[in-house]
Amino acid sequence: MIRRPKILMLGWEFPPYLTGGLGTACFGLVNALNKYAEITLIVPHSSKEQKLENVDIVGLNFYGLGTEPDEPISIKKGVEVVEVDAELSPYPLKTFFYKDIKALTEPHEIRALYGNNEPYGANIMEKVATYTEVVAKVAEGKDFDVIHAHDWVTYPAALKLKELTGKPLVLHVHSLETDRVGEDVAKGDWDSVYKIEKLAMEKADRVIPVSNYTKECAVVHYGIDPAKFYPVHNAINPEDVARIPNDTGQKIVLFLGRVTFQKGPEFMVDTAWKLVQRYPNVVFFVAGVGDMLEALKLQTMERGIFDKFIFGGFLSKSNVKRILAMSDVYFMPSVSEPFGLSALEAAAADVPCVISNQSGVSEVLQFSLKADFWDTDKFANYIYALLNYEGIRQDTTERTRKIINELTWDDSAQDVLEVYKGLY
Amino acid sequence: MASVVFYFQVHQPFRIKDYSFFKIGVDHQYFAIQQNTEILHRIADNCYLPTNGLIRQAIQRSKGKFKATFSFSGTVLEQFELHRPEVIDSFRDLLKTGCVEFLGETFYHSLSSIFSETEFERQVLLHKQKLKELFDYEPATFRNTELIFNDRIAELVKEMGFTGMVTEGTDRMLGLNSPNHIYELESLPEFPLLLRNYTLSDDISFRFSDPNWPAYPLTPAKFTDWLQQLAPEADSIGLFMDYETFGEHRQVETGIFSFLAGLPEQVLKHDTLDFATASEALARYKPFAQLECSDTLSWADESRDLSAWLADNMQNDAVQKVYSLEKKVLASGNEELVKTWGRLQTSDHFYYMSAKYWFDPTHQSFNPYRSPYDAYINFMNVLSDFEKLVG
Repeated sequence: MIRRPKILMLGWEFPPYLTGGLGTACFGLVNALNKYAEITLIVPHSSKEQKLENVDIVGLNFYGLGTEPDEPISIKKGVEVVEVDAELSPYPLKTFFYKDIKALTEPHEIRALYGNNEPYGANIMEKVATYTEVVAKVAEGKDFDVIHAHDWVTYPAALKLKELTGKPLVLHVHSLETDRVGEDVAKGDWDSVYKIEKLAMEKADRVIPVSNYTKECAVVHYGIDPAKFYPVHNAINPEDVARIPNDTGQKIVLFLGRVTFQKGPEFMVDTAWKLVQRYPNVVFFVAGVGDMLEALKLQTMERGIFDKFIFGGFLSKSNVKRILAMSDVYFMPSVSEPFGLSALEAAAADVPCVISNQSGVSEVLQFSLKADFWDTDKFANYIYALLNYEGIRQDTTERTRKIINELTWDDSAQDVLEVYKGLY
Repeated sequence: MASVVFYFQVHQPFRIKDYSFFKIGVDHQYFAIQQNTEILHRIADNCYLPTNGLIRQAIQRSKGKFKATFSFSGTVLEQFELHRPEVIDSFRDLLKTGCVEFLGETFYHSLSSIFSETEFERQVLLHKQKLKELFDYEPATFRNTELIFNDRIAELVKEMGFTGMVTEGTDRMLGLNSPNHIYELESLPEFPLLLRNYTLSDDISFRFSDPNWPAYPLTPAKFTDWLQQLAPEADSIGLFMDYETFGEHRQVETGIFSFLAGLPEQVLKHDTLDFATASEALARYKPFAQLECSDTLSWADESRDLSAWLADNMQNDAVQKVYSLEKKVLASGNEELVKTWGRLQTSDHFYYMSAKYWFDPTHQSFNPYRSPYDAYINFMNVLSDFEKLVG
């Protein structure tokens, strides 16, 4: 019998602490991969309640307690630190300056650093730098075949481990800085994330992007050798969602995600404006927060359609389910979307999807309605059709349902196993 | 002795222009005038005119032994009149040879035989009038849209005075019988049917240019050899195809014209083979057996049924909405509305909405849209406006 590979997995978000698709995707994969591999998963923040078979989950919020090493950790001086708005989820980082980090950090300080359930926050670079050192320490005593790291926050740790151990490194790219802030900002002098991603992809043995779209972005914007990439799509574990009758008398178009440049909120406003000229009986529900939320509100006022928007803020998982069950159309006009897991969630809830071509999920949702992110005429025409014509609602929903039913994390996990093959 | 019957379908729809929901209630001109005109010019130059020339020559050279049968949709005739009247003249010349037959069909190349018997009859009469007007011709044999056929349709066609009909020779209807005979329906004696030999027909219209086909390249001699092998057991051999096969679906570089030019001479070398028009074949041979056809058939796709137009929710939604307007449109007495309604019935609109587009390259090559969704939405937007006009 072939030995089960031992994977040292470096993650950042993990249930029950989630802010976006990264943690959901990471959980989905680990929860399927554990049938075929022994996994040690190191995350900044874990919960004792979160247990998975064949997975040793190490949360740095418990560092020094129990079996983990408990010495103070020495952190590289002069690390770049980022100050960001106190938004809930400042994944795209805003302003930058340097700050010294204490040379020696005590276990209780480490626990405190990762103690709250905000995975990013103002001191994100301090968290990343500390994670890098602690992971090296924790991994010292572990036996593993492959390092598998999810997104840039874990890449410095992954690179350090590769250097220390010589073990093969697989990167899992859920998103890129060029998606999050645009190519110009990402490549600017002030953006260190782009540099981390580029270095890591160059040094990695293999890279798993979540879509062909993301592979293209990495090849074009980062100049990485296309032969390194093994795209693996995300999947979903469908849960039955019973429709909730919407008695408001208005159709609901749902926008679900961070309100950031990447998600194309301005194109949503333009689409909404065009739609309501002819079809006023509709509201756009915006579920999410982000650095463009205020600008979005101002735009809707300027265009005279503020009353056609409901700003629902960041929704819990159960509230996401509720709003999905009430929505008539899911709308994702993303400018650049590496995957777009929430579109799969909408599809799994039988909500017809109108999504941009510039998204990874459009490779999976073959039978959803798609247009280029700037083509708001087409978006409006599609949404109008879904709200008015029964035939297309039925056909797109039925065909998409078949895709969702065939899409499993087990298939994704087996694809990932293929990527490991030949590395150890 | 077996008679080879070539029947060519000549059809172009009035394609709909890009019509977004912004135009509903504002823009009542639905058709892609420029696109339709361009396509008509292209096909007139690449197909209709040169192929007519070849056929005229074949008739002359064979001293009238080569025969051909044509059927025109009313929508293509209207477009010829508008943009290329010389194509009509060219067909008139063919008709004068006495070796050519024209068939009856629905004016709008519609699915009316499935959805409305009154509308079906109206369109068949309209088409008859058009043939009378343009060619001073009265058709005797009938061809329904895409060879759509069942017991009931045959009955209606007979009631309208046609003496026979052509349709697809499906395995479902024939069982173990060969398509190479004249048949009649058990339910409708004395109404002979001429059937399409789909294998030989598709050899010319689909497989001809496929280099992976074992018989590639197809030559007149090879094809005639196949026909001759069938001759002892056959009466009629129906070779039915889109006329656009020549020069449009199969371009001149494929050698399709040389094939057509060379075939009559090869065939006529053999005493066991001749050519006939549809009506000649229907009159010449006694019905071989009685058939039953309660399930509707057609010549489309592998399945040879209605699924190319009526499989999906979108298609059924759209077509039913069109026919639900029948009473109001006809009661309006508004000629323009009635004409537009007819043009919206053309089967091509529903074909463009077929999900087969995603899986079948044939569907892709006959579709001006990039997805069935776009075809459906465009059509439904137009229909929303039209519905408002009808009131």
